Amino acid sequence: MSGLFSVFWSWLRKQWLLALTATLYLWAFAVDPQRARLALAAGGHTLLSVSVLILAVMGLVGLVQAWTNRDAIAGLLGKESGVRALLLAALCGTLVIGPPYLIFPLLMSIRRQGARWAVIGAVLGAYAVKLPMIPLEIGFLGWRFSATRSLLTILFSVPIGLLVEWVMERGEKAEEKRL
Amino acid sequence: MISVGLFYLVLVAALYAFFYRRSSERTVQSLRTAGKALQTMAPLFVAIFGLIGLFEVFVPPGLIERWLGATSGFTSLLIGGALGAVALGPPAAAFPLAGSFLQAGAWPPAVATFIVCWVSVGVVTLPVEAHVFGWRFALTRNAVTFVAALFIGLIVGSLA
Repeated sequence: MSGLFSVFWSWLRKQWLLALTATLYLWAFAVDPQRARLALAAGGHTLLSVSVLILAVMGLVGLVQAWTNRDAIAGLLGKESGVRALLLAALCGTLVIGPPYLIFPLLMSIRRQGARWAVIGAVLGAYAVKLPMIPLEIGFLGWRFSATRSLLTILFSVPIGLLVEWVMERGEKAEEKRL
Repeated sequence: MISVGLFYLVLVAALYAFFYRRSSERTVQSLRTAGKALQTMAPLFVAIFGLIGLFEVFVPPGLIERWLGATSGFTSLLIGGALGAVALGPPAAAFPLAGSFLQAGAWPPAVATFIVCWVSVGVVTLPVEAHVFGWRFALTRNAVTFVAALFIGLIVGSLA
């Protein structure tokens, strides 16, 4: 019995988000089954529509892992390459399209190949600018608004990356001291 | 979205074919890594899209508009950032929504903050980010970006 419980507990710790979502749905079905069904259909529809994209990106993650040269990535995006790496990261961030939960694994595969934390932070910072979508933004908000917002977001992405890296490295140092 | 996905899938498949001719062994290893990544991410995806469905159906868009339009000044800046942070949806949806906020009389800095937070700060995707990078990275990055978004919003508001 206690064995069963500990199995359940370790599952819950790993998949707590799934458990939370399931609990929310149970609640929703109890309160308002009709709208709960709508929610389930909406979620399922979104999942189906991006499932192909998910497959493609995971395939890309596998390719990065096995084919990119560790030294080349570290040289281009690692600690030694300095400001150039950060500017490159900010530029990449504006070009990257796709939902963040797909960008995360891709970025982590680059990080494992030797990219510095600031590069990851800067890509995600500049990610709020979408070069392919600028026309759409101008259409809804005007060019002055979207031009200043885009420019500032790119400018801010480099210090955001550096700050995140500083916190990460302090954490790693503290970890080393403890061990 | 499906056609975009198919386009990328064909592209990646072509890459695999290209690399397979250079070394079948390493490419099979790529495929295995991809499968493992997919396996660990799949339950998270199911959970996230379940949440998106709940959000879409149970949070009416009019509610968001009222919150941002009713207040002004620093409070609306914070509300704009917080709304963007918890909101879920494609970036393309942020622009028409932000446009409707502006027309409804929302403060421009709050709207700019809303857009930056919508894309870059993710409360709902935080578990996924932490799963991939660790909690320390996820929390730091989201907090720093949130503060930066407030400044970006303020500067945009005074310039535009």
